[in-house]
Amino acid sequence: MDVVLLLQRIFDALFNSAIYSSLALALVIIFRSTGLLNFAQGEMATFSAYIAFVLLAGAAPGVKGGGLAAWIGAPLVTPVAIGLAVIIGIGAGAATERVLIRPLRNAPELAMVNVTIGILLALNSLMGQWWGTGPRIFPPFFPSSPGDHIDIAGARIRYSTIGAWLVLLALLLLLALLLRYTRAGLAFRAVSIDPVSAALNGIRVGPTLMYGWALAAGLGAIAANMSANSVLLEPTMMVRVLVYAFAAATLGGLDSPKGALVGGVVVGLSQTLIPAYVPFIGFELSVLPALVAMVVVLIVRPAGLFGTQRIERV
Amino acid sequence: MSGDDWPTPMPRPGDDDDAGAEASVFAVFAPPETEIHGAPAGAGDPGPEPEADEPAATATPRDADDPVETGALGAQPAAAGLSVRNGPPVTPTANPPVGGVVDAGGADRGVRHRRRISPLRWASAALLGVWLVAMPLTSSVTELRQNTQIIVMVLAVLGVNVATGYGGMISLGHGVFVAVGAFAAAYAVDDLALPWAVSILAGAAFAGLVGALVGLPALRIKGIHLALVTLGLAIVFQPLAKRVPAFSGGVSGRAVGAELVPPSWFGTTRWAEGLYRYLICLAVVGLAMWVTYNVINSRPGRAMRAVRDNDTAAAVHGVNLVASRVNTFAVSASLAGLAGALGIILVPFTSQESFPFQESLVLYATAVLGGLGSLWGSVLGVAIREVFSRIGELLGGVSGLGPLGEFLRLLDEEQFVFGMLLVALTFVFPRGLIGLFNRRRGLPVSPSSQDRT
Repeated sequence: MDVVLLLQRIFDALFNSAIYSSLALALVIIFRSTGLLNFAQGEMATFSAYIAFVLLAGAAPGVKGGGLAAWIGAPLVTPVAIGLAVIIGIGAGAATERVLIRPLRNAPELAMVNVTIGILLALNSLMGQWWGTGPRIFPPFFPSSPGDHIDIAGARIRYSTIGAWLVLLALLLLLALLLRYTRAGLAFRAVSIDPVSAALNGIRVGPTLMYGWALAAGLGAIAANMSANSVLLEPTMMVRVLVYAFAAATLGGLDSPKGALVGGVVVGLSQTLIPAYVPFIGFELSVLPALVAMVVVLIVRPAGLFGTQRIERV
Repeated sequence: MSGDDWPTPMPRPGDDDDAGAEASVFAVFAPPETEIHGAPAGAGDPGPEPEADEPAATATPRDADDPVETGALGAQPAAAGLSVRNGPPVTPTANPPVGGVVDAGGADRGVRHRRRISPLRWASAALLGVWLVAMPLTSSVTELRQNTQIIVMVLAVLGVNVATGYGGMISLGHGVFVAVGAFAAAYAVDDLALPWAVSILAGAAFAGLVGALVGLPALRIKGIHLALVTLGLAIVFQPLAKRVPAFSGGVSGRAVGAELVPPSWFGTTRWAEGLYRYLICLAVVGLAMWVTYNVINSRPGRAMRAVRDNDTAAAVHGVNLVASRVNTFAVSASLAGLAGALGIILVPFTSQESFPFQESLVLYATAVLGGLGSLWGSVLGVAIREVFSRIGELLGGVSGLGPLGEFLRLLDEEQFVFGMLLVALTFVFPRGLIGLFNRRRGLPVSPSSQDRT
């Protein structure tokens, strides 16, 4: 086995790992606080990436909303556009919680599945209709010209990979600080553990959950904007990514942020390495091992690696 | 999880039409003590109308399907239906009406029958009948084929309904079973040169087998996690199908060589051919619905619903959970597979291209929209889907309205419309549109509500 090639593949995989970890973290935040899976997480993130695309593209024919950039005066520079798009994504996430999720707080989980699947379908179709189903070129988040890499033992680690990990770790640190040292973070932790007791202690559960949705949407939006350059922007861009992220979150334990990080790394590595060494599973089918892993984890150890064991009261 | 201490989501038939406060719009939240149709409904009140009672601890009564039968069988709490076999009903003490249900079932049947049939229902039955007769006579060959495809789609939606509505297993991946049924039937009729009848059955059977395999993980994976796994299945299907070209035709798809031609006395025109296929599909769909109806109202069907409502209670009452879950998934998948197999009679071509994951989600949305836990709900769902697509076509064609025109064009997108409807429905008609026809019909969006208590 070629060691350098293996190392190279691992380095390449680490970029995806960072993306999966971010999205898995978003899923975990929502699952932890509300016990539901947001199936629309990926589409919401993609939508935010399209907003950045519109802000960047200017008024070009066939680009809906490009007039916005014209109205501002000129297409925005990449970081500003992406920052704005992420902020819009965060707002949209909070609004989704307020308008669609909160009224269903006591509803059975089928209602939640319906709403999030509905959002997924509608957003997916909306993006296809407005911006076309074909892939769009998205500017890179990090410098990624051919020379932008560091050589380690003959293999190249690209700046974008390093950048993605720096962003992810910074976000994790920020998240930890938020949860640990702010009042809202404390409230969020309390609500995650027991919403009723939290409410009895004067915590406003609704706004706190909205805060969680905003955080999750922000994480997703950042993940989408970081990866839109490498996977090309299209409406179904995050669909496969969502499966990987779900697999990562399941593997790590659906309510464990640490698990999301570890799961993301594992899934990212396996997504690159398995197709490379198992010929039947080409690039396109690399989502299959993730799905199988997810099923196996759910059957054998539903709590995942780091999640809390669920005990069902009979 | 908020489910522990918030008021238990309690499916309660009856007041989805109530306007007013949010809580009453979402009928699921209403406390179980509320009266329904004036019938006494508190626990401990063995009223003469069994289905008005909502025993809190056990299963939720809900109608199976047909007005005539529901009273006797479907509306009983599933556990009660099972307890008949064991002599005196063994039910929690909080649940005395159960005994009354069993005793009063026969006597009640006629009464309920008379009361239930509403003009709306007569009208829609008549409408359906007229359409089934008039449609082929007035359609062109192409229209006839398209309409037959719509009829066939009922089976796929019904498949979702059996798994999700009756079995309580959320399935977001039924498009996969439709595709598998189509591929298997095509393989049987072409590569194995089997007769059509056998091939169609083989398609359904193979899809059922695959469904049983998928149902195996469902033994341990429940609720939202199962939704996740089935969604993953729907997403992974396309690349997987491309990898087995011998079966699926690979990237380019699979043309079906054999043709179903009518006997010579039937006529040889293309229209006669279409009519023949229409009649065959209609017969198969009707037969499959009848079989499904009987399965649902038989012992396995009651077991299915008992497992949905509370699997622990069902197991205590002697239901084999493994067999029941696998059965449910197999039945539901073979219905979807049958739809796929019939599809290749109508259009002799099938490809993984036609089954993106969105298709599975739209199938799911159709089932939910029509009404889960109701056979006619699936028919209604497909009818509504068709109505919306016609409206969308009409509105989408309007041009020159600026931003409004843009919005109207969106309405031509089935996915968009169904996504929005799915969201809206959860708030407005939690038990699906069938709830408009019969207030007791249709499952409020809560097959797994009992898991949360």
